[in-house]
Amino acid sequence: MDSLRKRGVYSLAGLFLLFVLVACGGNDGTATNDSSGEGGESGETTLINEITIMAPTFETTAPPADNEWEQAVEAFTGRQLTINWVPNVSYEDRMNVTLASTDIPHVMVIQGKTPGFLNSAEAGAFWELSDYLDDYEYLSQYNEDILRNASVNGNVYGLYRGRDIMRSTAIVRKDWLDNLGLDVPETIDDLYEVLQAFTHDDPDGNGADDTVGLIIPTWYGSLDTLSIWFGAPNVWGYENGEVVPAFTTDAYKASLEFVKKIVDEGLVNPDFTTLSPDDWNNAMFNGQGGVIIDTYSRAMQINNLFVDETGSTDPEEHFVEITGTIRSSDGEEYGQPTDGYSGFLAISKTSVQTEEELHEVLAFLDQLSSADGLNLLNHGIEGVNYELDDEGYLIPLETPEAAALKPYEMGQISTYGEGMHTMRQDGALPQKRYQLMEDNEAHAVYNAAAPLVSEVYTTRGTQLDDIIADARIQYVAGHIDEAGWDSAIDLWYSSGGQELIDELNELYTEMN
Amino acid sequence: MSDMHKLHNTKPGKVFDFINIIFLGIAAIITLLPFVYVVAGSFATESELARRAFFVFPETFTLEAYRYIFTSEAFIRSIIVTIGVTAVGTLVQLFFTFTLAYPLAKRQLRGRKLLINMVVFAMLFSGGMIPTFLVVQALGLVDSYWALMLPNAINPFNLIIIKNFFQNFSVELEESAKIDGATEIGIFWRIVLPLSKPILATFALFYAVGIWNDFMSPLLYLNDSSKWTLQLLLRQVTISSDPNALGSLDPDYIPPAEGMKLAIIVIATLPIMTIYPFLQKHFAKGLLIGSVKG
Amino acid sequence: MKAITLRKPEKNADKKSLAEIVKIMWVRDKWLYCLLIPGVLYFLIFRYAPMYGVIIAFKNYVPFLGIQASPWVGLDHFTSFFSSPDFLRLLGNTLWLSFLGIAVAFPAPIFLAILLNEIRFSVYKKLVQTCIYVPHFLSWTIVIGLTHVLFSINGGAVVDLVETIFGVRINFLAEPQWFRPMIILQGIWKGTGWGTIIFLAALANVSPEQYEAAIVDGAGRFRRIWHITLPAIRPTVVIMLILTMGSVLNTGFDQIFLMTNSLNRSVADVFDTYVYNVGITRGSYSYSTAVGLFKSLVGIILILTTDFIAKKVDKESGLF
Repeated sequence: MDSLRKRGVYSLAGLFLLFVLVACGGNDGTATNDSSGEGGESGETTLINEITIMAPTFETTAPPADNEWEQAVEAFTGRQLTINWVPNVSYEDRMNVTLASTDIPHVMVIQGKTPGFLNSAEAGAFWELSDYLDDYEYLSQYNEDILRNASVNGNVYGLYRGRDIMRSTAIVRKDWLDNLGLDVPETIDDLYEVLQAFTHDDPDGNGADDTVGLIIPTWYGSLDTLSIWFGAPNVWGYENGEVVPAFTTDAYKASLEFVKKIVDEGLVNPDFTTLSPDDWNNAMFNGQGGVIIDTYSRAMQINNLFVDETGSTDPEEHFVEITGTIRSSDGEEYGQPTDGYSGFLAISKTSVQTEEELHEVLAFLDQLSSADGLNLLNHGIEGVNYELDDEGYLIPLETPEAAALKPYEMGQISTYGEGMHTMRQDGALPQKRYQLMEDNEAHAVYNAAAPLVSEVYTTRGTQLDDIIADARIQYVAGHIDEAGWDSAIDLWYSSGGQELIDELNELYTEMN
Repeated sequence: MSDMHKLHNTKPGKVFDFINIIFLGIAAIITLLPFVYVVAGSFATESELARRAFFVFPETFTLEAYRYIFTSEAFIRSIIVTIGVTAVGTLVQLFFTFTLAYPLAKRQLRGRKLLINMVVFAMLFSGGMIPTFLVVQALGLVDSYWALMLPNAINPFNLIIIKNFFQNFSVELEESAKIDGATEIGIFWRIVLPLSKPILATFALFYAVGIWNDFMSPLLYLNDSSKWTLQLLLRQVTISSDPNALGSLDPDYIPPAEGMKLAIIVIATLPIMTIYPFLQKHFAKGLLIGSVKG
Repeated sequence: MKAITLRKPEKNADKKSLAEIVKIMWVRDKWLYCLLIPGVLYFLIFRYAPMYGVIIAFKNYVPFLGIQASPWVGLDHFTSFFSSPDFLRLLGNTLWLSFLGIAVAFPAPIFLAILLNEIRFSVYKKLVQTCIYVPHFLSWTIVIGLTHVLFSINGGAVVDLVETIFGVRINFLAEPQWFRPMIILQGIWKGTGWGTIIFLAALANVSPEQYEAAIVDGAGRFRRIWHITLPAIRPTVVIMLILTMGSVLNTGFDQIFLMTNSLNRSVADVFDTYVYNVGITRGSYSYSTAVGLFKSLVGIILILTTDFIAKKVDKESGLF
């Protein structure tokens, strides 16, 4: 140490050494992660003692470890379980962090085909299951269309979590229909008449011109639904041997003209470019407008507001009407389906390394897809959460014990299968809903590109979607004219849309 | 002091006072009203919340939401956890920040500039979420309350401001203590800190609010749901209006009742809000720091 | 950079003998170095150790593969960002909002702190302080919900009021020219009260004797503010301004995202929402890291520039 400079260099070197050491410590984390693919995390080459699952929770009450419900599932399957509950907000971040860490659960709930999932799946993080499912009693009973929708270009990386296929409906204020002596609309022309009457004929009878027909917030799902009712494809269509985007079709344009017409005629809420979706239900409840195009669940929510207000206890009484699919002006029925699933359960290749281990996990999930398994996951423990009546209908129990278990959401890890108990459909509205869902399913228009995962869309999809979504609203609001709409479509093509179409066509041909 | 003011309060001074009082009063009302609405709404029925866009008194008073919250074991536990983590975490973070800020305020210290550069650099560049997680995991802090306190122990922004406050500290006081044989640590602990109460109070508030409102750390670092903090539960109920969650919601998801949302917002914000009035009395006591050049 | 800054002070020290220097470091300042240890360790472990993560800006990072195994892509993310047709528009929108914020929202808490400092009824003062800091705790979702109630074209109170006074019905929420004023206004409402805290802490250090002496000298209200209050908070104002410059390209995400709609997107798109759309929703950590690096680089240049200017004006102020 002959000078201060050296002193400084030494201490600097010391700091850097420490830094490097710590950094390497951090690096080790990733390094082990890479090698654990072949090696052993803890020599776990025999059987899996405890199955770990990562799942989202929507509840405000954190599910405690080893609660009674979880124990019941353990007893039913004869398997030890550890469920890693993650709040649904930022689930995606947590999923990516988990995938980057050394500690990957055997089973992960994947909420959708997000790039984080896709990148990892492509890198070999999850088992491809198409060759295995048919070996299992219950898992083999998948719905082929939905399995295909949930796949990644045909590769099945998870067991889908099944959902209702038909959800879209118009929701109409019943008291307004009654006041004006109108019927529930069945075609687009009926709908137009109802919107006219709700706007001009004082449906609330207050003598003031303060109502509109349709309520549209800044979530423009209503416009998509309408376009399908008009006969346009569901996002992507397959016409003349080619995958085509919906917005280039004539039916889509016709639906756009319809929306422009009702906006111009004042049949839509004037703040449709700014109304928050949070205030959507309220706008109908408060009598600003009388029609919403969305889902049955929203119809139930709005109906509940009226029930809460009036204190009605009669299950036959309801305050909104639902229409299901509204037929186009020429009488044809085109329904808007969902993809039929909400995320899937993927099995990690890092922690489930051999086919024998995979078999164990699949056998476990197979058990849970049996009727008893599904009932346990979705309805809880018989005798604690529910009872069955003489006809086998489910009666939920209202005990404090049942209420305490209810938020633990084991249903999050339930996939698909038959034999779930149903509740007796009390009340006119739920009955009608189930009837409509059944009737409408035959005429559902499916998204031709649902299973296709495109590289172009992954990187530029949001901008591409925004171009059309914005132009659509600007056109309807009168900010741009027809030439403006056409130039937006041109912009879409030149910003990557053409590449997207080409890629999807290629993928479509490959898959079929 | 107030006598002196009265003695010399001129007419324009009085007019100024009057306008000032009115102006600040209006500001206070405008800023407080929305929260009053949140509180009022948490006691209102669903249909009233849907019908009235804004109110200060609910027409029908209901305790439904609070009854649910206070009978839920998980809620009460997370309130206790959050208060505990905030209290301990604030002390830990103040310790780390002030012990670094004080030496960095000493202009004679060798290597000082290097360290300040290090702080400024870290303020702007960060390794990102996943590498930080891997460090926390390598240290064995996953599922530990320390993971909620240590990774954010020093906010570089705060550190620089505190360092600047210390730079204005009266040197004479420290010199005289040194002559009495006190070490720097002794001076820091017995003289500097007691005289820095407004600064301590300010940054205690900043850190406490930071920990209280932190949502990412508990989300990433806690597996054990019995350790969840209030912010996780708060985000759960407000999820349907969270822009980050748009589109990712399960179609079967039923949003929580509006009154419940508001009640949880109240529970999750009121405790931390009340610490400011509590700390306020310390804001007037740091009279010896920094003789101001007039 | 590190080596340079370390060498500088040593040049001045060259004339001192080794004994003197060792004495200074290890005898005079040893306790100060002891105090440094926890803080320095913190920075090395929690801030610098993860920093190797920035290399994902030059890779195609897949969390599952880990940083090392993810493939290199060089400057791809940067070139695709800078060559994006939207880049200049995004830069313009971001800078507009930032500089409006610095010009209008930054001085607001200083102004308010001075007004609060002039209140002599301490109970009233504390009450006002407590009220105005409350909005800081409300999430953007709530703030924007209330904005919609007040500014909706469909019966919003402010819109009606403006119509009665000026005779025009303005759609504040949709018209692009109102987007920036609305953002700044919300920012002022939400952040000003919270922002006063730091300045009030600085003002707590002014001894009452100074005001009393000024009164005895016959100084009026505005002279006292000018000569006592303002100088007291000046170092804090300068340091806050310097630090704020570092985040000039960060405009916040939630607020802007929630205020954006199909009609105002042309002025509303900023780096933060763009990165969200391209990076986060698309799971591309690499891309958002690359944009983050660019923002940090701009931030550090602005911080050093502002610091340099501040030192030119007043030697005592600045970062170091």
